[in-house]
Amino acid sequence: MRSFLPLLFFNYLIAFASAASDYYERLLLRPLPRSALLASFNFRSNESSASFDQQHFRYFPRSLGQILQHAGTKELHLRFSLGRWDAESWGQQPWDGAREGGTGVELWAWLEALSEEEAFARWLTLTNALSGLFCASLNFIDATKTIRPVMSFQPEGDHHNSSSLHLLHGTLPHEVVCTENLTPFLKLLPCKGKAGISSLLDGHKLFDASWQTMAIDVRPICGQDGTHCVLEMEQTVDMVLDIDRSKRPRDNPIPRPLPIEEIACDTSKHYNAEDTCYPLDKSAEPPWNLTDIFGRSLKGACPLTDEDGEGAKTVCINTPPERIIQANTTGQYVETRLASDTVRCYKLPTGADFDIDLPEQQMTTGLVLASPPLFAARSINGHGQERGSIQAVIRNPSFTDSVEFVYLESLPWFMKPYLHTLQARVDTSPSNPIKETYYRPAVDRHRGTHLELCMAIPPASTLTLTYDFEKAILRYTEYPPDANRGFDVAPAVIRLLSPGSSGKQGVYVRTTSLLLPLPTPDFSMPYNVIILTSTVMALGFGNIFNLLVRRFVGADEVQTMGAGGLQGVLRGRITRLRAKFTTG
Amino acid sequence: MALISTLLALRRDPRILKLPPYLSALCILVGVVWLLVLPLNEYSRNTYVSENALLPGQVHTYFTGSEHNIFRAYRHEVAALVDTSVQERTQRLGDIFRSSNLKVATQKYEYHASGRNISNQNVYAILHGPRADATEAIVLIGAWRNMADEVNHSGVALVLTLARYFKRWSLWSKDIIFLVSGDSTSGPQAWVDAYHDSYSPASIEPLSIKSGALQGAVAIDYPAGPWGHRYDKLHVVYDGVNGQLPNLDLFNTAVSIASGQMGIGCTLQRMWKHDDSYQERLQTMLRGMISQGLGHASGPHSSFIPYHVDAITLQTVGNGWHDEMSLGRTVESLFRSLNNLLEHLHQSFFFYLLMQANRFVSIGTYLPSAMLIAVNFTITSIALWVQSGRGVSTPNPASATPKASPDSKTSKPDSMTAAEKSGAIALIPTTSLAITERKLFLPLAFILASHFLGLLPLYIFNNTSEPYLGLAFNTITAVTTSLPVLTALLLSKFLCPTEQETTLIQCFSLLLLGMYLSALATLNFSLSFLVGIFASPLTFVRSLAPQTPPTTQSPQIPPSFVSKNRKSLSATMVILLVLLNPLVVIRAATLYWGATIVEVLVQAAEGWHVWGLWTQVVVWLVWWPAWFAGSVVVAGGLFA
Repeated sequence: MRSFLPLLFFNYLIAFASAASDYYERLLLRPLPRSALLASFNFRSNESSASFDQQHFRYFPRSLGQILQHAGTKELHLRFSLGRWDAESWGQQPWDGAREGGTGVELWAWLEALSEEEAFARWLTLTNALSGLFCASLNFIDATKTIRPVMSFQPEGDHHNSSSLHLLHGTLPHEVVCTENLTPFLKLLPCKGKAGISSLLDGHKLFDASWQTMAIDVRPICGQDGTHCVLEMEQTVDMVLDIDRSKRPRDNPIPRPLPIEEIACDTSKHYNAEDTCYPLDKSAEPPWNLTDIFGRSLKGACPLTDEDGEGAKTVCINTPPERIIQANTTGQYVETRLASDTVRCYKLPTGADFDIDLPEQQMTTGLVLASPPLFAARSINGHGQERGSIQAVIRNPSFTDSVEFVYLESLPWFMKPYLHTLQARVDTSPSNPIKETYYRPAVDRHRGTHLELCMAIPPASTLTLTYDFEKAILRYTEYPPDANRGFDVAPAVIRLLSPGSSGKQGVYVRTTSLLLPLPTPDFSMPYNVIILTSTVMALGFGNIFNLLVRRFVGADEVQTMGAGGLQGVLRGRITRLRAKFTTG
Repeated sequence: MALISTLLALRRDPRILKLPPYLSALCILVGVVWLLVLPLNEYSRNTYVSENALLPGQVHTYFTGSEHNIFRAYRHEVAALVDTSVQERTQRLGDIFRSSNLKVATQKYEYHASGRNISNQNVYAILHGPRADATEAIVLIGAWRNMADEVNHSGVALVLTLARYFKRWSLWSKDIIFLVSGDSTSGPQAWVDAYHDSYSPASIEPLSIKSGALQGAVAIDYPAGPWGHRYDKLHVVYDGVNGQLPNLDLFNTAVSIASGQMGIGCTLQRMWKHDDSYQERLQTMLRGMISQGLGHASGPHSSFIPYHVDAITLQTVGNGWHDEMSLGRTVESLFRSLNNLLEHLHQSFFFYLLMQANRFVSIGTYLPSAMLIAVNFTITSIALWVQSGRGVSTPNPASATPKASPDSKTSKPDSMTAAEKSGAIALIPTTSLAITERKLFLPLAFILASHFLGLLPLYIFNNTSEPYLGLAFNTITAVTTSLPVLTALLLSKFLCPTEQETTLIQCFSLLLLGMYLSALATLNFSLSFLVGIFASPLTFVRSLAPQTPPTTQSPQIPPSFVSKNRKSLSATMVILLVLLNPLVVIRAATLYWGATIVEVLVQAAEGWHVWGLWTQVVVWLVWWPAWFAGSVVVAGGLFA
């Protein structure tokens, strides 16, 4: 039996590494149950406000900085996500979900503008510019996909004139995040994937992960007295890798059945024989090293990181102390143990490859995973082309604390909820859990539905939220090329109000996105109509054309009519020729 | 203009009323012949895969080697669970799924139908597609017991082995749900109802974990015991509840993979040997039509189809040389194809009749057949309406031969009216100016009442408990057989319906029948066709009341003969109609196929309460009222 050690929240690791230096990076690895591995990359570059205003960029990427200046953006949050976080097996999300996004692309920003119209115009500028920078379809975030959340987001940075700031939020749940988004992401880093932990980021492995999210957060941070402001850009990549899958070599990725000799059979079964094998679970921790998992080797430290102190501990691994870890490098490295030995950090050598090797090991102790504050699942119920209903099931696992949260839904306009059918039930108490509702109904083709609900769940209870909706019928040009796939509905965002986080980041949980099948016309029909009308047109045209250009003569007017056959034809030809010569 | 005036002159011609029976007969004849020519090469087509994304059989399958050893072990595990309790079985199956790192949940269900208690438990596991975002899912089903109530040993073991094998692949773009249902019909129904949240919480438990929109489902039916059995062919079952069918692309993909890639022959509709002759094709098609017409669940896949989830069952049949691994590879390849789908299956046909694994007719080709049969009722109904508006027959002024009838001769002098219009005066027979009013109350009330009467047997059959079903059936057969004669007797005693009223009763009844059947033909072609064929004699029977004028009688029989043998003819027609009583037809059909009537009724009641079967509604509220109205009209001839 394994005993479990209390787990140290790794957010603690981040907390004290504040604005000490201008560039900071850290990779945190944490083995998760069922041979999964969480890799959490964090990069932070600072630029003082003064030099930012003078367009004097050092660590802050110029390309992004100029866009932010042009669009009057004071704070920016951009997320590219793929897959889903399996909270039941993996526990609490990294960063309390604050660096997580919904499936696809999610963007929210605080823009400085005098009016809402100006803010929206700047928002469009921002989305179009970011679209070009990140090779993503961010320019498709138009008015129908933009909302102005009221309770769900709070600025993380320090803003002086917060009255002129406008928060806009847009999502693209259908966007497929892939390598073309990773390359520009890496280019924003000072070491650009050539050295430091970013040299591990490889598109093949990143996008083969069970869950991954890339985040960019830009916010101004000021000192206590409101001066010495810096603009901080934080880039985060979190991913959960399947160790078995990631270790497969790239040239032979097919999981062929293993030879029977390599499978551990349960020999206690009465039917166990040469040709019959009940496979045994592997209880040992699988062996792995960085090069196998990420498909690349770690090319030493990025020279811009601190030489010593907290900022120098670039690679950290969160395992029970008994786990054997072997560091392989030709250069100099330093190992530090933190948090009663459950976290081991390494200072990377400069200019030499670094690798850590974990052999297969039978563990006697394990780490307790922090339970997430809420479990949320959302699904579409009902069937048919006309109506449906949404059901969100939110569970509070805590036996002691009740949880208060804001639930945000941003629905496309063609999904029309009936607010009178909105029901929230808690299984343990009869009272209505909805404390506050903010609802902005959709306008066809102009804006989507924006629904924010402030709710509370008592301890150890499940809240079920349901509402019915009607599906609109689109114009046939409004359907995408893959109309029969259905339309993606953005994930719901849940922000915890209490117990919240101590910092400004907040605690977030997101549901998965949904696929909404809409009534779809048979697209071969317009084609048939076109063919049919074309035929009719051709027939009509042909007849009228004939009437216009043919000369009709009476049968008795034609001299050669009497003589048929070859003779008649020949004579007709001659007459026609003669007529041509005489007239022309 | 000349044409219009000719037509207008024809309008009053009594000969025009002789035409509809021939026209109706022609419709029926053409309808039946139309169906019979469908199996010919000229009228059917070879199947083809429309959806390019499916790419059937384009992948290598790797389900071999040590997986076979594991499969055998799982088959032993499954065999060990046969005599255990439902709870224990579910627990153990869940443990095996859990050991493959899948999320597992269970679902209890309990239905009551015909006094029986159908209760069992489903266990299912969800494989999260490694890069999927929980928006789409495909389902692999292995029912614990198949339709023949045998334990699906190898089928369930194959689902378990494939779950373990699929988990290793990183290419799944959709979630895969592995469902081991408690039985083959109610279990999947309970699961799919709960998945779409359209269920009554009293009978089934909600699902604790769900995934995205279901894109397809494949069920495996392979009941070979712990020591295996090599099969010969795959029997692809595709009928859904209420005669709904899965997209033809799914069927084609399965056939193309099984026969093209794996070399396993495919068969359908229990045609174990198919030599591709006309007779075999016709037989396959007719079996398919009967199965579709009955609308019953034909396998674990059937419950999925009403939710627009395309589903099929792969059933192993015969003795041959294919083993479980080739079935496993077929499923693997099929899932790889489904995994490729970018959109919900929509390209190919949803309405088709299959006559061989690679030959079909689509709705455009076969629909006219059922429509023509439905139209025959409408034609007769229009003719009856026109006839009911004719008071006394008038001689055609245009006809050259004078009528021999004495009363028309004597009334001739005063039967002319002078009509004047813009200075011209015309003499018109008074009878043709007289207005005949139709008395609608009795016919409408009768038709309404007979349709409501159909609710009684519908209720009784669906709510009687099993031991009394046989008795109920016999009683209702006896009652419905005698009811038309009794009704006709009572009607003639108390209400004395006029000839016009009996004509109108038949007219409305046929009008409704024609309307219902043509609407039904677009939803369930086979049911509409079968009901239409059995109801077609209703077009030709007539009330033989004594005052019937000679011109409107049955055209085949000379008037003198009819008036002489009125009673005996009516009696013959009543007997013919008794044979066509829906209950008698159902009894005859059960005798022909060697089923017991109680079995059929129990299935139907289960269908009504669990699967949402609508066939009974068509029988009791469409077919039966039409038959009843027709029989009452005919029986009226006995008492008039």
